[in-house]
Amino acid sequence: MMDKMIFGRYVPAESVLHRMDPRSKLVLIFLFVCIVFLANNMLTYGLLTVYTFLMIALSKVPIRFIYTGLKPVLLLVIFTLFLHLFLTKEGEVLFRLGWITIYEEGLRQGIFISLRFFLLILMTSILTLTTTPIEITDGLESLLAPLNKIKFPVHELALMMSISLRFIPTLMQETDKIMKAQTARGVDFSSGPIKERIKAIIPLLIPLFVSSFKRAEELAVAMESRGYRGGEGRTKYRQLSWGLKDTAMLAMLAALTLVLILLRT
Amino acid sequence: MKKLNIKTMVAIGMLSSISYVLMLLNFPIPPFPQFLMIDFSDIPALIAALIFGPAAGILVELIKNILDYFMTGSATGVPVGHIANFAAGILFVLPTYYVYSKLKTKKGMTFGLVIGTMVMAVIMSVLNYLVILPAYTFFLNFPAMSAPEMRTMIVTGILPFNIIKGVIISFVFMLIFTRMRTWVEKQAVIKSAA
Repeated sequence: MMDKMIFGRYVPAESVLHRMDPRSKLVLIFLFVCIVFLANNMLTYGLLTVYTFLMIALSKVPIRFIYTGLKPVLLLVIFTLFLHLFLTKEGEVLFRLGWITIYEEGLRQGIFISLRFFLLILMTSILTLTTTPIEITDGLESLLAPLNKIKFPVHELALMMSISLRFIPTLMQETDKIMKAQTARGVDFSSGPIKERIKAIIPLLIPLFVSSFKRAEELAVAMESRGYRGGEGRTKYRQLSWGLKDTAMLAMLAALTLVLILLRT
Repeated sequence: MKKLNIKTMVAIGMLSSISYVLMLLNFPIPPFPQFLMIDFSDIPALIAALIFGPAAGILVELIKNILDYFMTGSATGVPVGHIANFAAGILFVLPTYYVYSKLKTKKGMTFGLVIGTMVMAVIMSVLNYLVILPAYTFFLNFPAMSAPEMRTMIVTGILPFNIIKGVIISFVFMLIFTRMRTWVEKQAVIKSAA
């Protein structure tokens, strides 16, 4: 549970995708989400599918991790497939059994749309499976740096994000401790009518707020005494470096985009 | 936006993590569909707004949603639900904050929460009609809903859901606020002195 909270869905492995710069991964996924909508026939969808599976293979993440991420959505994908299968009434009749009639257009649309949905989820999962949340934060900070020009506090936002990431596990521990303390005094968190259970949250939340403010105070003092003065001139412990593989991956995506534009109908 | 001091930034970070953890403990309420979930993640945002001002409330909502998108992922791959949650959050927190800052009493807070709930429910219904449901149709290809269909779904589903959500959150927040009011005010004073 604790590890899960620190790393999100990150699965450590030794692969090209793991070693890529988080910035290029973020750009890659963002562009992929855009170009998925270019596909509109068998060939283009086929290409996208091949590309996605190539990425999964490159990431070296065991299939079962990808599957656990997909499980909750799978039902939704199948549901959309059937919805289109039964409700779209265009094109030739392919199949008739009693009151069920399946039309060509319905089958086509159903498969394409569930496939698109499926590919989107797979690709965004690849990002979170191969990148730690802290890397994503660093990458976002660096990518959004131009927004500093319009006075948007990018560095501050990234700092707050890393602080909250850092304190999620501590908070879970704290919650657990408070819950045990309250249980020892007779509070029942797990049963009773819903109104009582909601009320039981209150003696949990208040100590949490107070202790997190105390902790904030301590951390702020510690940061100040170590000379923290904002983003300007800050040197970083984790340096981001854009390498050849990042350029290569983006070039590959650009090639894919070009082919998709040429092949779409 | 004026420069935030370190204490404020750190405290906003902490409140965002409380908010994120509370977001993970979400639950559906029986008559409504699975994707409409209630959670208490707006409470830390409201406290942030009361102590550090409205911008802090917005930041807590923003960070919570970014964290959730990258840590838990989105069912659709595209963060439509997170954008909706962000919009709902600030639409609830800001009106409440402004009403309370004018009145500064316990009654004022109740009144503010009622206004917040109303504003959130009404504007979210409009946003659902114009943006969110069409976005789901576009990304997920849920069969496109016709305008009257969408209207019945909003009037019978989304509007009452948001009202109930607002009422439950307000109820819990009032219980917390009556106990923490002096503490919140003390923090706000310390903050303005720093």
